[in-house]
Amino acid sequence: MKTKQALLFSALITLFSAGSFADEAVLKDGRIGYVMTDLFWSVYQTEDASQECPRGFNDGPREQFEQLFPYHEGLSVEETQLAQEIETWHPSTESDGFEFLEVEGELSWGLNLDDEISANDFRHPDGTAGIDNEVYRAVGCVIGFRGPDGVEYIFQNKAIVDERYNRMMIELSGVESLENDDQLTVTVYRGMDRLLTDATGGKVMPGGTQRVDRRWGESLIREVRARIIDGKLISEPMTDMVIPWQNLRVPSIQLIRDARLVLDLTAQNATGLLAGYADVDTWYYQLIRNDSTHHLSNGQISGISLYKALRRLADAYPDPDTGENTAISTALDIKMTQVFITHPKPLGGD
Amino acid sequence: MPQGFRVEVTAEGPVFADTNGNTLYTWPQHKLRNGYSGEAKGTPACYDEVLTVTAGLMSPYPPGIKLPEIEKRLSCMQLWPPVLASEAAEEVGDWTIVERRDGTLQWAYDEQPLYTSIRDRQPGDVIGGTRRRYGGDSPAMRVPAGPPSLHPPGFAVRQTSVGRMLTTDKNAAVYSFDGDTANSSACQDQCLTNWHPVLAPALARPQGEWTLLERSPGNRQWVFRGKPLYTYELDQSSWSQQGSDNPGWHNVFTQHAPRYPDSFTVQPTLSGEVLADSTGKTIYRYNCGEDSADQLACDHPDDTQVYRLAMCGGGMAEKCVEYWPYVIADADEVSPNRTWTIVLIDPATGRFAEPGQEGALRVWAYRDRPVYTFGGDKRPGEVNGGGTGEWRGQRNGLKAFWLRDDYMGGIL
Repeated sequence: MKTKQALLFSALITLFSAGSFADEAVLKDGRIGYVMTDLFWSVYQTEDASQECPRGFNDGPREQFEQLFPYHEGLSVEETQLAQEIETWHPSTESDGFEFLEVEGELSWGLNLDDEISANDFRHPDGTAGIDNEVYRAVGCVIGFRGPDGVEYIFQNKAIVDERYNRMMIELSGVESLENDDQLTVTVYRGMDRLLTDATGGKVMPGGTQRVDRRWGESLIREVRARIIDGKLISEPMTDMVIPWQNLRVPSIQLIRDARLVLDLTAQNATGLLAGYADVDTWYYQLIRNDSTHHLSNGQISGISLYKALRRLADAYPDPDTGENTAISTALDIKMTQVFITHPKPLGGD
Repeated sequence: MPQGFRVEVTAEGPVFADTNGNTLYTWPQHKLRNGYSGEAKGTPACYDEVLTVTAGLMSPYPPGIKLPEIEKRLSCMQLWPPVLASEAAEEVGDWTIVERRDGTLQWAYDEQPLYTSIRDRQPGDVIGGTRRRYGGDSPAMRVPAGPPSLHPPGFAVRQTSVGRMLTTDKNAAVYSFDGDTANSSACQDQCLTNWHPVLAPALARPQGEWTLLERSPGNRQWVFRGKPLYTYELDQSSWSQQGSDNPGWHNVFTQHAPRYPDSFTVQPTLSGEVLADSTGKTIYRYNCGEDSADQLACDHPDDTQVYRLAMCGGGMAEKCVEYWPYVIADADEVSPNRTWTIVLIDPATGRFAEPGQEGALRVWAYRDRPVYTFGGDKRPGEVNGGGTGEWRGQRNGLKAFWLRDDYMGGIL
């Protein structure tokens, strides 16, 4: 019996050793790749939402329709359904008559994007002041954006895994160590292959292979300097990062200005934040093009009300003509899994 | 086939037609968000009643809302005349006869009642409906009826924006290679790593355009129109066109789509290729179906324009022209075929204009419906307008005209 225990102990030691060996193995020629498996707008949630949404949650299209048209039977399509769709697709900043419930709490996930601390900023749960995340202020009290079962939370994450259009990857190069490295390069690519999963098909596994999409994804490639401090990757800002964002077969994008990555690295995973300033119109139209009023209704997301909030809370990139801000600070929770990235030769190449 | 019917060759493939050459359509039952529309087999549901309120078959809007322009609205039967059978008519094979509510008899094919469309004007027109895919959130569409495709078991033919694509019955794209002939394959050894011959079963026999190539004893490959057929190992999705990136390799079509106007261009995007105007701006098609029990279309210039004007310009025609401009045909351009035509449109109403009418625009139309560009697209290859409108552009909105996509089945 003792012999069996000794063998088991020995096997465990070997396994742990193999893990270390694997860490080294995936960092080949100073390179390691990760593929995105989760991406959602970062929302700081307390258990009963009492801190961030003390007055409850916003109404969605279904609730607003009932309040606007309690006796719809005598009304026409133009006066009701199309009136609401016009407001959705041709939005304005004028009041829709509904009070919009913004986040009222002081805490938020995110980064200090402008290196300033102002009265309008949030505080990180770790105590860091100056957190810029006005998208959170807008969507934090909208049920559809809250985990674990908000319609956006579910749909978008399912799409990140299922839709190859969304297959964003990063490749770190010039890496000496995943623990500390004061100078390396992060290159953003889109992959073109399905993800490697376990036998259930539900869990993405490290060790898969992705070909870089050089056919259609060339314009998505970005390169930025970064460093690793105590296992945390911190990139410099990318001027404009385009995130391919497809859901329900409508290809669209998100445009994040001054985008930066802060990721906890292991040889198997990269987990953390993608933060920057989202272009407001791109943000809004991605939402409503990918999700119909029906889908938004399931998350009590009024596109009409939300657009006004986004414009009101926008805090960067003022329009040179009007002075109105065109971008809004944000953070996205991001999870990535290690992948071997291959670089196919361009079409027509040797 | 019963007497009086025939087969017409159309842009949608072979279809059944009546004695005057009018294409025959079915209205298959279709599951919507809050119930079913269309016709169950053997049960006509299109009658001479002008519906006045919405059915609430979609979400989130409730039923009972007044439909637009009720005074001008046509009944289902006015738009879709049933193909009536005489008392003496006899059923033949899949052609059967069903009884309508008023006791009249109507022809059915595969038990689906048959109709013609008032939108079709001459033999071979398929303006009334399409065989292209429509999803769960699309209206219950009318579909051209026709004979089954003459392909061997194991294959399928899918209507796409670029033609009738040949696939396996599991929707894998099928390819041919320039270096092959009906009796020889240039794809050997290493080539077979990525290209898999579509093999025929032991009992398969040549028929019509389909022959067989014996690659090795007992190992026979299907050949279509003189070219051996393959699937591609690296295809990542159904109905893929990725294999055609390899020099000499091509997707196989039983029929190519009618050629788009010469002045149009093809632009690369993040997803694939879209059709674009001469300046590179993406072309969009408008789709519309009412939330009524009869699911009447509202995507044609002869239909109510209330829905389209709401979506493209917030109800204002002048804004529509600004946000979603028509694609103007040059004075010297002519229609290349009956799918791509030049029509006169009154931009103030969105309806067809009379020749010589002041302010009328001469614009490109696809299947008799104008096509558009989007003011929000600033550079070639942008598709920022795709999915605009209700139900991601499927019910009252616009979708880009995809010619190839590697990511979302957009050509279907």
